[in-house]
Amino acid sequence: MPHWISNDPGEEASMLNALGIKSVDELFTDVPKKARLGRLGIGPGHEEFEVVDTIDRILNRNRTLTQFACFLGGRITPRYVPAAVDAIISRSEFYTAYTPYQAETSQGTLRSLFEFQSLWTEMTGLDVANASLYDGSTAAGEALLLCRRVHEGRRFLVPASLPWEEKSVLCNYGTGPGLSVEEIPYDSKSGCLDLNFVRAEIAKGDVFGVLADVPNGFGHVDEGLLELKSLIGDVPLVIAADPLSLSTLEPPGSYGADVVVAEGQGFGMASCFGGPLLGLFACRREHVRAAPGRIVGATVDAIGQRAYCLTLTTREQHIRRSRATSNICTNESLMALAFVVYASLVGPRGLAQLQVELAEKARTLASALGGIEGLRAPRFDAPYLGEFTVEVTRGTAREFLDGVERHRILGGHLLKDPRPSAGAQPEYFLAAATDWIGDREIQKYARAARTVLTSARRSA
Amino acid sequence: MTYRQARWEEPDIWDLAPIRTGDSPPAIPGIPEKLRRKEHIRWPELSEQEVMRHYTRLSQMNFGVDSGSYPLGSCTMKYNPKVSEMLARRKHAVELHPYQPESTAQGALELFWRLERILTKVTGMPEVSLQAAAGAHGEYASLLMVRAYFRDRGEAEKRTEVLLPDTAHGTNPASAAMAGYTTREIPSRDGCVDLPALKAAVSEKTACFMLTNPNTAGLFESEILDIAETVHGVGGMLYYDGANLNAIMGITSPGRMGFDVAHLNLHKTFATPHGGGGPGAGVLAAGETLAPYLPVPRIVKQGRKYHLDYDRPKSIGKIKTAYGNFGLDLRAYAFALTHGEEGLKHVARRSVLNSNYTALHLGKFLPRPFRTLVKHEFVLSGSPLKELGLRTADLAKRLLDEGVHAPTEYFPSIVDEALMVELPETESKRELDHYIAAFERAIHDTPENLRSAPHATSVRRVDEVRAARQPLLTWRDLRAAAGKAQTP
Repeated sequence: MPHWISNDPGEEASMLNALGIKSVDELFTDVPKKARLGRLGIGPGHEEFEVVDTIDRILNRNRTLTQFACFLGGRITPRYVPAAVDAIISRSEFYTAYTPYQAETSQGTLRSLFEFQSLWTEMTGLDVANASLYDGSTAAGEALLLCRRVHEGRRFLVPASLPWEEKSVLCNYGTGPGLSVEEIPYDSKSGCLDLNFVRAEIAKGDVFGVLADVPNGFGHVDEGLLELKSLIGDVPLVIAADPLSLSTLEPPGSYGADVVVAEGQGFGMASCFGGPLLGLFACRREHVRAAPGRIVGATVDAIGQRAYCLTLTTREQHIRRSRATSNICTNESLMALAFVVYASLVGPRGLAQLQVELAEKARTLASALGGIEGLRAPRFDAPYLGEFTVEVTRGTAREFLDGVERHRILGGHLLKDPRPSAGAQPEYFLAAATDWIGDREIQKYARAARTVLTSARRSA
Repeated sequence: MTYRQARWEEPDIWDLAPIRTGDSPPAIPGIPEKLRRKEHIRWPELSEQEVMRHYTRLSQMNFGVDSGSYPLGSCTMKYNPKVSEMLARRKHAVELHPYQPESTAQGALELFWRLERILTKVTGMPEVSLQAAAGAHGEYASLLMVRAYFRDRGEAEKRTEVLLPDTAHGTNPASAAMAGYTTREIPSRDGCVDLPALKAAVSEKTACFMLTNPNTAGLFESEILDIAETVHGVGGMLYYDGANLNAIMGITSPGRMGFDVAHLNLHKTFATPHGGGGPGAGVLAAGETLAPYLPVPRIVKQGRKYHLDYDRPKSIGKIKTAYGNFGLDLRAYAFALTHGEEGLKHVARRSVLNSNYTALHLGKFLPRPFRTLVKHEFVLSGSPLKELGLRTADLAKRLLDEGVHAPTEYFPSIVDEALMVELPETESKRELDHYIAAFERAIHDTPENLRSAPHATSVRRVDEVRAARQPLLTWRDLRAAAGKAQTP
């Protein structure tokens, strides 16, 4: 058995003795007999070596991304994590700490979160940021609620191309206050937002917020974003931005974003089957008291030295209870640390260079797949960075991806809501450039794609 | 006083190197010039060694469970097993993508499935989902499930109220409000739910009663079966806040007590680290009535294969991008597998023994407002300190000088100047005695020393009022306040 609990036989006896009782059972007399359990039925405990063995055996039933040529992307991206990131977040002073309620003994966490907030405002061009949320989708949900707090209306507009998970999460955030999430159609040629639709919906009224993403759910960069704020006027604009894209693209604050949210996993976190992730949230200064989550502020200590603490806490659940701006208690602080460490290791120029390289690979990939009969790659003609949408015109996208997987290629992910209620959807998938692919993998993908589509024609 | 936390005169990261400006990122073909960033992100270019030293120094100005006892009540700051950390970093755990085909991620799905099976036993509920990222996230999702259930029954208009005791965690009313409910507090009597008051409050408007058991006063709600009957009697749902599960794991369960839906915090009871505030890992458990409303996907086993099932027509849909915080769920599974049946019960028994033992001793220094039989945590009132012109906060700060963390302060709010203490099962008797001695030294120190504490931490008492009145939230704010130019 583990030594996580003291095995000293004298300990328990002496504690019981101090309490004047004979058995620990006497400490449970307040649990009614009718509510007691017999056995849990989960089996006996194990030695550490057995646990390691069992879990390794289970994990080895996975095939890791590097066993394939991997073109998976979207909000969660496989990207190399420098060893130094893990070295820092593995320091137990960081990872075994709680939320820094006692500021004096928690300056490490607080300072690193202050640096994180500073970095995210630099990247977005906004004034303030919080200390993180669960993931990009819940950050978008919290942004929806902030918009409603600062603007009247019942309708929130989002791109029809937004990943289905995010739409579903947003609908859930809208459910409580009775708000509706409505889709902005995209231009079938460019994949970009139909701005005339936005104009018309704003004119109809009752819109309290608009969300757009960069790159969008199809992987494309929509020049129309620059006009969006002038179209919607005082209706708050939320931009969901890929953090790496902000190394080379204008900060959304400069084109009128009131809130910028993001999924931060690509900065120093492995894709780890989707968790933990990192939600980023920045907004304008005038909205900070309506913002969700923990916020770190700078101040001084009793002898005038610079110090940091959690601040503006009257927004929060432990103070304001049912009138809080959010129910956030736990966030993703350690991942926020990973984010700022990653950015500091790679540096602003390194980040831009990485984005340029991924964009170059994506263009090579697009030209390799683009010439293949049975595929439209890219499906849309708007510019893109490291990923783009492909349409499968022969057979289904599912069949195609399953087909190339047999050639040890993870060709991309389906842009489909998998719930049976979702109905018919286009045969699109998203293909992404990742750190681990080069010309060899791209050519291998193209060959496999041809093989798969040729056999699809034969069977058709 | 022998404790001294490190203090480094460490510059802020943006002052470690001059921030170069004036050059712009390279162009990317096709990207319109108007969208191109004019200037690189303003952040320093540093060497790896500079970054390592900076954050190593910051870490040395931080306090974790590995540094010393951390008795935050309801936070269950137990030891984070290192074997779990090692396993969570395996290549076959981290190099996985949620969109890779199911057939290539059978191990990950199996691990989720196995953990879920254990958690159905621990919760006494038939269905479990790991999608929630944290406890409050689970609360919120549970209330959305309750909402969907009443909508299906055509009672959405009628069921508008969520009831909760006045000792509830702040996240409970906040989650209820986000889910669109009005909240109503039920007063406590002697630290527990006042059953007659609950009986008077429930009605056809009641959607749900949210309860933590043991509650935040550290008391087991012994009338739980009557509470369940009362809530069910008006057709309401009973919600279990699992923050305090550590006290009762294997002794009783939410299902056994009559709850319809529950959340657990794996980052408390199952020893996954808190990370300075997160990530956590939440669990949603549901009885037969609410199970169809759990978020999609669900993990199912068909023959020998594991599969993500999206065909749940009543499901509330997604509550976050991916399923579960896999890295944390893996750590929790290692914890459960190590302990097994007897081990998990021992966790509960030892945490309750620790709590009663510590309460017995600390009760000599400050009054205990409720009955003395407590579960995994207990509450003291710092009100006698007021006679010396002191407050609970002064004692909490003075405790930091002892190289231990302070208890939760000013919660639950029904106790004047409250201190809520939880020293989980991983604290040995020696550590408990050390804490008791530290507490005794602290409370018997001079009022001046208490008022000016802490002295041994990397900074002295932090001016939180000033932080809120003049918010400085980024480095630009700091520079502006220092009267420097906005740009470096």
